[in-house]
Amino acid sequence: MTTTTTTTPARDQTNRLTMTRTGSKMIADYWEDLFVARENGKKIVWYNGGALNPMFQAAGLAWCHGEAFAARLAAQQLEGPAQLAGAEYGYNSELCSYSRTHLGCAVLTVQGSDDPQTGVVGLHDRVDLASKLPSPDFFVNNYAGCSTGQQWDEVSFRIFGKDLPIFNISHPFLWGNKPDAGYLRGEEWDSASQYVRGQLVELIDFMETQTGEPFDYDKLNESMTYIKRAAELRQEGLELCKAKPAPATFWDWIACIAPINFLPGDQALVDYFQGVKDEIQHRVDNGISGIENEKYRLYFDGIMNWNKLGFLSRRFAEHGAAVLAGRYIQNAFWQEPQLIDTSDPLLGMAQHYLLCPTNHGSKTLDYLTLKDTADYDIDGLVFHATRTCRAFTGPQRLLAKSARDNLGVPSIFFEGDVADASFYKDEILESRLVAMLEAIDVARERGDHKVAGSGAEVAWPS
Amino acid sequence: MTRRVLGVDLGSTTAKAVVVDEAGAILASSTVAMGAVSRAGMHRCIDEAVGRAGIEVGDVSGTISTGYGRKLVPGIQRSYTEITCHARGVAAMVPGVRLIVDIGGQDSKAITVDKDGLVVDFAMNDRCASGTGRFYEVLARAIEIELPELGPLAMRGSQDLEVSSMCATFAETEIVSLMAQDMRVEDIASSVHRAIAGRTLALVAQVGRRTPVVMTGGVARNPAAVHFLSRALDHEVLVPEQPQISGAYGAALLAMESFLRTSPPVPDVPGADFIFPRVDHTAAGHSCAGCDGHLRGKVELGAAIPLRSS
Amino acid sequence: MSEALEAQQRLQAVARDPRAYLEQWRQAHPGGKVIGALPMNFPREIAYAAGVLPVIVQDDQKPVTEGRALLAEFYCGYTRNLADQAATGRFDMYDALFMADHCIQLIGSADIVRAVTPQPVFFGMLISSLSDSWAGAKIAEMMGEFRSELERFSGRTIEDHELRASIVAYNKDRQLLRRIFDDRSAGSAVHSPTQLQDYVVSSMVMDPVEHHRLLEAAVSEPASRDRDARVRVHLSGHLCHAPRRELLEVIEDSGALVVDDDLYTGRRYLSTDVDESLDPLDAIGKWYAQRNVNIPCPTRVQHDADWDEYLVEATRSSGAEAVIHLMPKFCEPHMLFYPELRKSLEAAGIPQLLIETEHEGIPLEAFRTRVEALVELTLRKRPVHV
Repeated sequence: MTTTTTTTPARDQTNRLTMTRTGSKMIADYWEDLFVARENGKKIVWYNGGALNPMFQAAGLAWCHGEAFAARLAAQQLEGPAQLAGAEYGYNSELCSYSRTHLGCAVLTVQGSDDPQTGVVGLHDRVDLASKLPSPDFFVNNYAGCSTGQQWDEVSFRIFGKDLPIFNISHPFLWGNKPDAGYLRGEEWDSASQYVRGQLVELIDFMETQTGEPFDYDKLNESMTYIKRAAELRQEGLELCKAKPAPATFWDWIACIAPINFLPGDQALVDYFQGVKDEIQHRVDNGISGIENEKYRLYFDGIMNWNKLGFLSRRFAEHGAAVLAGRYIQNAFWQEPQLIDTSDPLLGMAQHYLLCPTNHGSKTLDYLTLKDTADYDIDGLVFHATRTCRAFTGPQRLLAKSARDNLGVPSIFFEGDVADASFYKDEILESRLVAMLEAIDVARERGDHKVAGSGAEVAWPS
Repeated sequence: MTRRVLGVDLGSTTAKAVVVDEAGAILASSTVAMGAVSRAGMHRCIDEAVGRAGIEVGDVSGTISTGYGRKLVPGIQRSYTEITCHARGVAAMVPGVRLIVDIGGQDSKAITVDKDGLVVDFAMNDRCASGTGRFYEVLARAIEIELPELGPLAMRGSQDLEVSSMCATFAETEIVSLMAQDMRVEDIASSVHRAIAGRTLALVAQVGRRTPVVMTGGVARNPAAVHFLSRALDHEVLVPEQPQISGAYGAALLAMESFLRTSPPVPDVPGADFIFPRVDHTAAGHSCAGCDGHLRGKVELGAAIPLRSS
Repeated sequence: MSEALEAQQRLQAVARDPRAYLEQWRQAHPGGKVIGALPMNFPREIAYAAGVLPVIVQDDQKPVTEGRALLAEFYCGYTRNLADQAATGRFDMYDALFMADHCIQLIGSADIVRAVTPQPVFFGMLISSLSDSWAGAKIAEMMGEFRSELERFSGRTIEDHELRASIVAYNKDRQLLRRIFDDRSAGSAVHSPTQLQDYVVSSMVMDPVEHHRLLEAAVSEPASRDRDARVRVHLSGHLCHAPRRELLEVIEDSGALVVDDDLYTGRRYLSTDVDESLDPLDAIGKWYAQRNVNIPCPTRVQHDADWDEYLVEATRSSGAEAVIHLMPKFCEPHMLFYPELRKSLEAAGIPQLLIETEHEGIPLEAFRTRVEALVELTLRKRPVHV
């Protein structure tokens, strides 16, 4: 039996939302349905990147999001066999661990259990993983921001012998060349939005060819109506977390990613986010906080370290540090629901795909990070330098410097990874976190005030 | 008089020498721990092996060297890489072997061989020391025991602790922190061995798992390292009687084969099939040493340029 | 000193010290503008037609110092070096930076450059998904954007005849370089891999007319050297910058002879000419698309362009007996595609060796051991002549 010990915090001082347990159940049911989708007569699409699930839902498909599956394996500490299969196939351990976990699954799925003797993955794991993840009927790639995302699906396509159809959606990186460039505005934003919308129209044609059925636009509008409502409730819940002490934390919202990212748009999804918001409202009304004794309010930048989710939430709570906000929550996952026109949702969907938090130049990210740092009255930033995710990590040093220079807010960095626990170094996080919290204490004692504070104005950089 | 040849494996921390006869049987061997590559250690090792074989150095009909210090060995016919030599030596020690996991002082390798004992593929660790003999030394130092005691201690562990960092630089703090939580040293030792076996598995993954598996190198004398590798591979791992000398033995066999011309002659290939001179290998790789020498302009270390706010 | 030797030394000097060349160029062209073009597909022809000197930014082999504080250590060596060049003022030799490719690490480093240098950084992302029916139109649109942006930057209109002349100049230089590479794969061992790298890198830096003149002189003296008995290898990888010269030297000093490559600072860069018979801007767009057909690149997505097939075929036509993969540590497209290469080479019975390269601190002796092991196992595959 494995006891996870990396200096386990003494006592759990988190107060996680109970509603997320309902979410876990919904997610588990979703995967169970997917594992038997073929038996249920569904065609299966493998996809990566932005949340295309409402499109697939309207086309009557079953969908598997590669990153989500890899994250799930990591969160359940089941990533090992897939990663070893990937290593055996030739993937280097420095490669995006989402992709090599998922590609390892693809290798196992293709190989089945034909040749267990030469593999490093045992027969049982091999059969188990291969039989669980149903092989795709086709691929759709919808990756913005990270070039690796597009290349990953191309390699999946090749692992499956180049026999299956594949559709690629290209996303211009929102670099900000033009003088009028800015968040959600300017010529670059408008033209990119229309370009991606046009590709979604092409995707509909492609899916009609694959399914042999006309695309159900009404179904798309319906699904997007639910998703928009769920996204609004999510935004309202996030807004409530600006309260002091914070009623819920970043970690609670991490637990809400899967539902907003790939569950079907339906009443159950809306009910779930209504439940989340109600629970938070109840906490605000009754002065209940997300961790015991909130002393510090922190921002978390970086893609999630899925193997360490529960551990990290306890680690921070142990020090009275409420992690409240982060790029992966505030600036991702249908975060601008007002853009969605439910009677013609394609443009708003295209825009959300472009709004992937790795698809902005650092100027926009700087604006968004400073804004959240001010809005949530953040005392310090924690950067998860995500070892195999260059997309998320690229601008982090610039963001840290900007927060210090513009708002007087300190930062620390620690290394970890999305789906490979071996890159995580607990001692480094622990010592740096404590050092930053001590520095915050000293600054408070001396009466040094950070520039940030609830309601501080953060302007778009000129 | 029967001919005798010598194989010398000058590794990063130990020198190994083997004398074989015409039939390829080991007449004598020697292993000398040097701490670091040293000529004196090497000479002592050669002298010991030759002495044990009851002959003089001058009686040796041919010598082949291998290992990182292979170019330091005097009087050689030629040298081969340790990959080729380990494969040859292990194939003779354990006929039928298909996968060799060799873990030495500063590197680890996985080698697959064909039915004739010839290398099919190989993978070596990068500069990271995790999973090498060096890593076990760090572990032994951190838990304050002697290296030979490490394996038996690890075999007594029962609890599986998570060791998050396999980096040799951070391992020590990691281990110390486990000790600070009153974890049993047996459990720490066994957990680290398990984690290292996992790393080795990733190396094996690069060349493919084959059986029978043989483990060689100094680390193969550690019973816990063998045990956990065996568990990780889910297969029995064989260890030759003298796991450290397989490279030197392979070199000696190659020397004898070359001497007797029982194997096909290796073509006369400049650069590969020659006696490597010790220093004057055309200075290749040293032409710029990280700098162009004549790069001008203000390119030296200086004050950080402030970030623009706009 | 012979004219040929003098030209060879000049090309080597430019390749190894672009800064000195640019200083001389600026002296000769007062008021002239120089842009740094990031690899791999920026259409230099458009910039040159505007009277601007486009220089492909090289990894400058300096150890990374201040750049360390700006970009994570798990970015590839080239992009960390770019960040370092920017942080330490080494980008002052360019008036602007242009980029056409979407590699996420390149974007990350360009973002650093934009933040820490005063020069403008223009990013026009060429579509990388080349099987799409709309790819041609999107490429043409982006080439048009490059033209307008360069007109804005240079303050002048780019006429079609200027674009044509620019295309001719680059084609001519590429054709001569390609002839030298063709000679090598056909059996000539006159040029060492470092020498060829210097020729290609200098062409990435220099004015194409000047480069062509020097290169012609450099190869003017008839010389011939046949391959010796070393193991013939194809070097594959390094998709966007040069491998360290010392590594190339060690490979040839360990019993291997390089007979062909698909490196960026080698054949990959030279693979394709711009069609002079078409409308010039259209032709440049088609050049971009054709490059990935001629030598497929894992940074592009094109379902019927296969790097692995190309590689096997290339070894057949050059007679290479083994392949050495030079993979820059952390290069994701290469890491993703490597297993496909490995599988195809294995199926074709071609021995191979993977070497992970780094910007600094390359463990050369460890590499020597690996190359020698590859040589040993490849030699055994040779037919034995009794």
